[in-house]
Amino acid sequence: MKRLENLPTLRIHPEKTLRFEYRKKKLKGLSGDTLASALYANGIRIFSRSLKYHRPRGLYSLDGESSNTCMQVNGIPNVCTETTLLADGMQLEPQNISGSPEWDMKGFMDNLDWAMPAGFYYRSMHKPARIWPIALKQVRKAAGLGKISPDFQMPGRYDEIYPTADVCVIGGGPAGMSAALAAAEQGLRVILLEIRPWLGGFFDYRTADNGNGTSLAQSARQMAQQVEQNASVRVFTHTTVVGVYNNNLVTAFQKGRDGDSFEERYLEIRATSVVVASGCIERPLLFDNNERPGVMQIGCAQRLAHTYGLLPGKQAVFSIGHDLGLEAAVDLSDLGLAVACVADIREDGQDPVLLAALKERDIPFLRGWVATRAQGSKTLNKVTLATKTGTLTKEFACDLLVASAGMTPLTGPLSLAQAKLAYEPYTGFFIPKQLPDKVQVAGRMLGLNSPASIEASGQLAGVIAAADCGKSVEGRLQEARAQLNQLPGPDQGCKLVTAPVQGRKTFICFDEDTTIKNVKQALEMGFDATELIKRFTAAGTGPGQAGIPGHNLPLFVAQYHGDTQATAMPTTMRAPLVGTFIATYAGSNHDMCKRTPVHESQKNAGGIIRRIGVWERARYFSEDLSCREEIENVRQNVGLLDASTLGKFRLWGPDALKALQRVYVSDMSKIADGKVRYSAMCNDDGCIIDDGVVVKKAENDYYFTTSTARAGATVEWLRYHTRYDGWRFHMVNLTDAFGVINMAGPNARKVLGKVTDADVSDAAFPYAGYREFMIQDTIPVRSMRLGFVGELSFELHVPSSYMQTLWDILLDAGKAFGIRHFGLEAQNVLRMEKAHLIIGSESEQRTTLHDVGLGFLWDRNKSDAKTVGAVALKQTENQEDRLKLVGFKMEDPSRTPKDGSLIVDSRIRGHVCIARHSFTLKEPVGLALVDAPLAAEGTRLQIYEDECNGQHLHATVVPTPFYDPEGKQLKM
Amino acid sequence: MALTLTCPVCGKRNGYEFRYGGEEKGPRPDEADLTPQAWCEYVHMNKCVAGIQKEWWCHKDGCGVWFTTHRNTTCNLEVDTPEAQS
Repeated sequence: MKRLENLPTLRIHPEKTLRFEYRKKKLKGLSGDTLASALYANGIRIFSRSLKYHRPRGLYSLDGESSNTCMQVNGIPNVCTETTLLADGMQLEPQNISGSPEWDMKGFMDNLDWAMPAGFYYRSMHKPARIWPIALKQVRKAAGLGKISPDFQMPGRYDEIYPTADVCVIGGGPAGMSAALAAAEQGLRVILLEIRPWLGGFFDYRTADNGNGTSLAQSARQMAQQVEQNASVRVFTHTTVVGVYNNNLVTAFQKGRDGDSFEERYLEIRATSVVVASGCIERPLLFDNNERPGVMQIGCAQRLAHTYGLLPGKQAVFSIGHDLGLEAAVDLSDLGLAVACVADIREDGQDPVLLAALKERDIPFLRGWVATRAQGSKTLNKVTLATKTGTLTKEFACDLLVASAGMTPLTGPLSLAQAKLAYEPYTGFFIPKQLPDKVQVAGRMLGLNSPASIEASGQLAGVIAAADCGKSVEGRLQEARAQLNQLPGPDQGCKLVTAPVQGRKTFICFDEDTTIKNVKQALEMGFDATELIKRFTAAGTGPGQAGIPGHNLPLFVAQYHGDTQATAMPTTMRAPLVGTFIATYAGSNHDMCKRTPVHESQKNAGGIIRRIGVWERARYFSEDLSCREEIENVRQNVGLLDASTLGKFRLWGPDALKALQRVYVSDMSKIADGKVRYSAMCNDDGCIIDDGVVVKKAENDYYFTTSTARAGATVEWLRYHTRYDGWRFHMVNLTDAFGVINMAGPNARKVLGKVTDADVSDAAFPYAGYREFMIQDTIPVRSMRLGFVGELSFELHVPSSYMQTLWDILLDAGKAFGIRHFGLEAQNVLRMEKAHLIIGSESEQRTTLHDVGLGFLWDRNKSDAKTVGAVALKQTENQEDRLKLVGFKMEDPSRTPKDGSLIVDSRIRGHVCIARHSFTLKEPVGLALVDAPLAAEGTRLQIYEDECNGQHLHATVVPTPFYDPEGKQLKM
Repeated sequence: MALTLTCPVCGKRNGYEFRYGGEEKGPRPDEADLTPQAWCEYVHMNKCVAGIQKEWWCHKDGCGVWFTTHRNTTCNLEVDTPEAQS
């Protein structure tokens, strides 16, 4: 198809050809084309087949109001071709066809509409009940438009931004741009969102005069330039608003263009004030076959010509109800379209200038006439026009019918902002009765039609928005109001709902193939409210949301009831207003994690890294996941574990001790100098949430550790539980500032002795001691003698920057003593053999301090401290029927139950927390939380393992610890 | 999230940055003569006001302070002047 050339309004670049494939056929389009315009340029008229009846569907609008032109693009189904820009190499496939769009094998469905009345699948397919499973399969097969392969991977990159603005303007047409400029003039930061790839709105493609001798298109471009050059206005084009929430939070998504780093990007905009200037779409005209390819809206026909250089047809008939239709007829006739007739629904009220222009061009004009039937089996070839009562008819051969009943405002954003909409009888619009706080409306939505009024209303909205932002704009406000008042007000709207037709083939909703007849059926069945009819007939529930039926459905319902249209209520809009990729909402998935200072060196040493909480840690150091060698080396020689992920805190200040007393269950005033104190934290229910050690470094100056999982929440926890007290203390989270090495095994002292001059003998540095000394006269370490893995061990805390050096020094010094790494899994087995706990493994949400056998930590004589959990500990201390932590051995030593297996008799009595084959004990052992009556030594436990088919495993409760019960090893 | 909160240190910030700390219930009761019922009331029972309530928030992704503020639970908005609105 030859493009129109030299139009000043064109948005295509004829010098730049793009190649794409449609149904495997190689086609060409131009840079600037949307997929829809490129297909239209290649002579494609039938874009898809409809959902139920497989009727041919074509280009009707250009802003994605219906699913008519949705296609599968590069494997992604349901892509709106009207709003997606063409890119080189795209592959397009039409949807919902068996065969081709022109020859669809399911086209016969169109004759079966009598068998599919409104809600037929709700009412017919379950009587008798046994047919439902069969019917279900068929319905499933027929339902839906696009198809997606279950293993489809969404290509591309998706981003998200969270900008803030004083004023957010929705709509980049003349009103929106005026509002943005007026607000920016007051020194405010403005964000302007426009759904199309460029600013200008409905001025962009119009050559009509703006009253000052320039065309509307020209003046829109001038204004767009002003907006884009204004440093205070941030413009997002090709950006669709999908949500508006209270507090003026606006969500939208932007389509990336060439050179952008994203395919789509999610925007969450926080604004003080919002101006809604989203303008109007056209209200579809309801007549027989009103969606036959060849029927399109005014804006669609005019934009095809002016924006994309495509004359939409050869011979046209217009059936319209708005001056924009008359303007388009004159305009397109000047571009070479033969206009056979213009039928205007309105009896009067037309712009006399436009009527004169029609006459000048000898275009027949019919007042009070309307299209009643589009003819042509696949595409349009003839139109029947009739008077509004249907008494007189005329037929015209044509290949284009420009049809529109009038305008309807795009109130979606307002509706989401909780504005209550009501019918306004003069314009026939649903407009807000009352605006939400700091939300303004401007432009065509108010029924304004004169360009000057639209701009003035935008300016006024911008100034009010500035006032909402706290600017004093009294003078400017009066000026803007006065200016708007002297300009023409809203135009009277056309009220016709349907042409005089029966409605069997009159589609009120294209996406769901809902006809006027279906709506009547629903009404006759007693569905009286529009919301119910919407659901029963599915009108407005398709991909285009309420784009096509949104305005007509409530008006039709009101008319059926014999009510005045004033009682009509639009259906509720919900976010997202426009179908949005899940990928866009998902964003780029920034999965952040932390690594310890010796991460790389552990990895190089064969460490198998696993993500554990926020950390990446070395779990194994060989392919043997039982970690036998690592474990035995710790028991026999010495091992090195990177424990840097432990939570580490400094707490100091005059009230530091009070804070410790509040959160730790033990009496923290009794911490001796040079000793570590092991204790636990509970929540207010007495349930254990954390354990760790506390060191008193100086008067009112403490250093303490928490479990890895609690590192992030500890500062918040202490501050929360002391929030009323006004105590003076400071806390620093040193978790990332310090690395920790746990060197454990009978040879640990020998290794340490080689690298420090400090006396590390048992006499000088006994078990549970705390010392600070230097390694090789350089590295300051805080050292603790602990025994988590049950051997002689030194925990060395060093500044993170020294961590790698110390790690290397120890490995080097330990060579002679058989030092090697051990990972988390080995530690897990080693500590289990000692029955040392990991909170979250041997405890769960309802496990108290007593349940896990740590009740001895609790000091009941410090009630003045109001210790967190103390009250509940008192209450639950002797409570019966609690779960208790016990150790167990297996009856069959060849079987180790899986972690999490259930302890059962006739019901569930507990679960296995951890169970491993112990190489030290040469048999499997484990820890379990069981009902108190089962906790006695010698009790036989039945273990139900996943997929055990009722074959229970058996275990016996035994005393703990399993290994070195006297604790000789760790006190060496 | 549409909610914004006013941190006494950092000012008005996005609701994502905060952690909810429950309704304002006053300081921890004295443990002497405390009945289990009274304790349970304090720890677990909430008024669940449909309207404006005073509550605790922590600016967890900011300065870390715990503070009280008033929020209208029906529209999930922070309220500047609770007296004028209630």
